[in-house]
Order: sequence, then structure tokens, then C-alpha cells
Amino acid sequence: MTGKLDIVIAGGGRVGFQTARLLEERGHDVTVVEQDSDRCAVLADAYVATVIEGDATNPGILEQAGVETADTVAGLSGEAGLNLAVCLAARELAPDVRTVARVDTAERAAYDRFVDAVVFPELAGARVAANEVLGSDVQSLADTTGRLDIMHLRVAEGAPAAGKSLAAVRLPKGAVVVSDESGDRVAGPETVLTAGERYVVAVEPGVADEVMNLFRG
Amino acid sequence: MSGSQRAPAADLGLLDATMIGMGAMIGAGIFVLTGLAAEIAGPAAILVFVLNGVVTAFTGLSYAELAASIPKSGGGYAFVREVFADLPSFLMGWMLWFAYMIAGALYALGFAPNFLELLHVYGIVPPPEQVGAIALPVVDAAVPAAFGLAFVAVLALVALNAVSTAASGSVETIFTATKVAILLVFVAFGATAPMFSTAEFQPLFPAGAGAAAVLPAMGLTFIAFEGYDLITTVTEEVKNPRENIPKAIFVSLAATVVVYLAVVTVAVGTLGAEGLAAAGEAGIAEAATQFMPTGIPVIRNGGAIIVFGAVFSTLTALNAVVIASSRVAFSMGREGQLLPRFGQLHHRYGTPFVAILASAVVMLGSVALPTQSAGNMSSLFFLLSFVVVNGSVIKLRRERPNMTRPYEMPFYPAPPVIGIVLNLVLTAVLVEYLVRTDPLALALSAGWILLGGVSYVALGRAADTERGPGEPAQTAPAGDDS
Repeated sequence: MTGKLDIVIAGGGRVGFQTARLLEERGHDVTVVEQDSDRCAVLADAYVATVIEGDATNPGILEQAGVETADTVAGLSGEAGLNLAVCLAARELAPDVRTVARVDTAERAAYDRFVDAVVFPELAGARVAANEVLGSDVQSLADTTGRLDIMHLRVAEGAPAAGKSLAAVRLPKGAVVVSDESGDRVAGPETVLTAGERYVVAVEPGVADEVMNLFRG
Repeated sequence: MSGSQRAPAADLGLLDATMIGMGAMIGAGIFVLTGLAAEIAGPAAILVFVLNGVVTAFTGLSYAELAASIPKSGGGYAFVREVFADLPSFLMGWMLWFAYMIAGALYALGFAPNFLELLHVYGIVPPPEQVGAIALPVVDAAVPAAFGLAFVAVLALVALNAVSTAASGSVETIFTATKVAILLVFVAFGATAPMFSTAEFQPLFPAGAGAAAVLPAMGLTFIAFEGYDLITTVTEEVKNPRENIPKAIFVSLAATVVVYLAVVTVAVGTLGAEGLAAAGEAGIAEAATQFMPTGIPVIRNGGAIIVFGAVFSTLTALNAVVIASSRVAFSMGREGQLLPRFGQLHHRYGTPFVAILASAVVMLGSVALPTQSAGNMSSLFFLLSFVVVNGSVIKLRRERPNMTRPYEMPFYPAPPVIGIVLNLVLTAVLVEYLVRTDPLALALSAGWILLGGVSYVALGRAADTERGPGEPAQTAPAGDDS
């Protein structure tokens, strides 16, 4: 399977925009639906996603965004109700589509019946804030890496790097495999990338796409 | 392009983007095709290049609008993939891939006689027409020198691109500046040469054929203007793309037309249409050796600069299309429209290895074609794919009226409609011309489309089996697409 996904994001605000940027860097096709025309211009300038201007709960607009052929639809606007409506409408148009909704409460379980996954960005934000408030020298990774991405990456069956040792794989400059497959040791040149196993990988945004290609095929 | 993924994002300015487009358009096309165009159209070869510039400008508007609003590198195929269903987008990629591969063969075939001419200028070999076949002791057969050279050139550049990532945009800028400078030297000396002052552009059109001869010559040389598809394959690396991409497309196109106009006028004015036609692929180089000063130290012969320019241009253009063709196959592989292997980077070399090798096979095979057939086939497929690109703009405007379009073409829908009509007219003229003069090229083109249809059905079958019988197939059953 190719790792490239077709993703529609409803809401091009701060959360929607940053999510679109991260997904684009990892090589996916992103379409953003945003109602505010000034915001649309900002999104177009960033050149990370195709932008559709309009109300994402309007089925006509969702169709223009290509929901029917999308792999995933994510409602990431600031209004939980709107996000939920987008996901439900998307499911109606394309029963197989994966749906993700941004909610405004930590009570995620209530939404499980309607969407495949929920996000509560404030919780992640609160972790970052708590870290900063304490000002500790030791912090969890999520908020100290700047643009660098530390990810858990599973090697796909048949991917170019599968079954090869790190010495044989030329990772692009700006990418480092941190752990071996057991997760107990730091990876070295002799570490073999076994299909189906997960590795901790540090990646700069510019080469994320290429690393995905090597690991995911 | 393959190298871009290792490079930092968004570091190409307007100048770099313009130079990438000009680099693809100015160079091999002008050196290789001028003689062939003169053969068909006589002194009207001047008109041929200008008219082609006008025809391409309409498609240029479509490219500008698509590139500004769809943030994807990958050129025409990526845009069409966004707009059209599986089969049309597959065919678009399939045609564009072929057009680039055949263009590679064309540039290799143009490289060979110019390289022989360069060696001749330095007295290493006799004049190109006297260089016969090179005997190969191993296979006990004689291979024409030009064919052998073209083959080796393709092999060398493919090997280079297969194991290492390509030159970056700034190198491209230096290359293009070199080419333009050499052509300017050519124009400056040619326009002041005594031969030019007695230039004879009458009769403008060849006897018998009349003005109609311009059309098949336009078909043949259309490939010279494929450059902006190349600009749009690097859009993600361009700073402020929504402003700079449309600008780069228009500036490079306008500059290219001006340079072509000057070069072809000088070439026809000095060597005459018959002389140019007789020199074929080495037309410009031949013209230059006539009027450039001789007796210069080191380089000996001023014409050598131009001949060097021709060799340099054909090689850099060949390199560019090796990258471009593998890039199309790579994108198709990633989209699941070719075997997934095509869409993977090699684990050691970090290049789209399989895509490059597959492109190489077709390119090496095509080197056996006559130059003119290669030019005709490549032009034919660029014309057809440009029709689809113009169609995408119209379809996108109708189906996604709310899409944010940072650049909107003026006078919509006139430009894409005119673009489609003009491209189809040239396609028809070219097909008619091929039926009369080159049925082999036409048969090979039809064969490629047929092969595409078969691959599409076979890939669809394979995907269905993988998915299992219970789940619906995403790909519509392939219809008759020949």
C-alpha cells in the first residue's frame, strides 16, 4: 500500500492550518475548507493545501473539497458542533471515509459513536504550558523540538528500507533513527529495519516525505 | 525532481524559477530543430517558432492558474490527477511520461551530430557526414557513430541520475545563463556578418506547399516549448509561489520567444533555409562555423563556441528530461497508477531508481528512431497532454467554483478554449503529416497508448484481487481508450 493519503480538513484556523502543514510535509494531499476569505488568502500563501472557501457543513462545499474520494475527513474548527456535523455529513457522502473531530472537552468517549477519532488540542496545549510554567530542564519531547518531529514509525511490508540495515539505507540528511526495534537500545549502523516493527525516528520537516517513502513505501 | 526532496524547501526565487523554464525551452530545441523546421517550412521557420510561442501561451495561462491554486509539485500530471477520474489522469501521466522519454531520445540524437561537429572543429575527426560507422569488434557489427554516441549519452546520464540526486536549481541558473549567453554571441556575430546583410527571406514559404507548410513544422517544433511543465514540477521549492509561478511562466515564455526569433532569423539570414535544412540537427552549429571569426588562440575557431553551446544544451536538456520523465513515473507510482515500485525511492541511492530505469529502457530504444520521428512523437504527446491541462482548468472552475485561486487567468473561458482548439488543430495537422511521411512514428504512438490501456486494466485487476471481492473497486472499468 502507498502511504499517501487524501485528507480534507474543515477549518483553516490555527489548529487546522498547523495540521495541514504537518500532513503536507509528510507527503499527503490536503484540502482545507475555510469560510473566512482573508484566512483563505493566508492559507493559499502558505501553499500547503488546496483551499475551498465556504461553509464546511454545506454538502455542496464538501463535495467540492473532494470528500467522496478522500481517505480522511477532519473537522478541526473551533466549534465542536460544526466539526461533528462535518464528520456526519462526510460519512453520509462517503461511508468508508475515516472521520476525526476536534472537540472542546476531555470527555472523548461521548463522541465515539459518531466519529472514528477525536482530538482535544487544549489538552496537548496544557501539557506544553505546564512544562513551561515549571521551567524544568527536563521536558517531554512534544514541546521542545521546535520544527523537528520525533515519531514512532512502523516499517511497512515491502517498503524500500524493509529488511535492510541502517548502514545499507541512505537516510536523507536531517533524519536519524533513534531506537532499535526492541526500543531498548539506541540504533547503530548494524540495526536492521524489520518490517512490521516500530522505531523512534527524528525527522526535520524538509525530509519527512522522503523518510515516509523509505519506511512506508 | 528527485534532487528536490533532499534540498531545503522554498529556496528558489523568481529568477531561478524563470531560469528553470528557460533552461528547458531554450537550448536543445533551438539547436536541434531549427534545421528540421527549415527543411519543412523554408525561411518561414522564423514564423513557426513565434506562432508556437503564441499557441503555448494559452496553455501557459492554464498552467499558471493550476500551479498557483494546487500546491503540489509534479507538473501537469499532478494537476490533472486532482481534477479528473482515474482513467483520464492515468492517460495524461502515461502520455506525459512518453513525451519526456521521447524528448530524451530527441536530445540524445541532437547531441551526437553536434558533438561530432565539435570534434571536427578541432580536427579530431573528419566532417560529420564523412564519419561512417564505428566497427564494433565484439559483436562483429557496425553501428552508426551518431547512434552510438546518442546511446552512450543516454546511458551515462541515466546512470548518473540513478545513483545520485540531481543538480539543484541554482546550478540550473548557471547552465541557462551560459546557453543564453552563447546564443546572444551567435546573434551578435550573425547579425553583423556580411552574409546577413545580403540575407534573402524570399520566398518566405517553400514552393508548392505555400503557407500551409508552417503547420507541420509547428507540430514538429512544438516540443521546444514544453519548458513550463518543468517549472511546475518544482513549485513547492519556489518562494511565494502564488505570485512567482505565474510570473516565471510568462517571463520565461516571452524571453524564449524573443531569443528564438533572433536566433532563427540570424540562422536563416546567414546560412539560408536550404543550408540550414541540409545541416539538419547541427543547423545552428553549421551556421555559426560559417560566420564566426577564425584564428582565435586556444579555441581556434569562433564557431566552436556555438558548437560547444549545442553540445552543452543538448546534454543539459537530456539531463532535465531524464529527471522529468522519471518524476512523472514516480508520481504515478505513488498514486497507485503504476506499480508501487515506481513510487519508491531506492534505499541506498535515495533516487526513484525503478522509475529512472524504466524511463531509460524506452529512451534507449527510441534512440534508434530518426531525429524527426522522435521530435514528431514527442510533440504529439505534449500537444495532447496540453489539451488535457486546458480541460482541467475548465472542469475545475465548473466543479469547484469556491476554490481559492490566487491567480485567475483573464478573459476566462476564452484562453483554455482557444488553447484546446489550437492544440487540437496542430495535433490533427501533425497526425495527417505523419500518415503521409512517417507511419512508423504514428504506429509507435498508437502502440504506446494501447500499451497504456492494457497496463491500466492489468493494474486495476491486480488492485481488485488485493482488495478482495467483497469491497468495491475504486477504479472504474477501463473503456476503449485508443
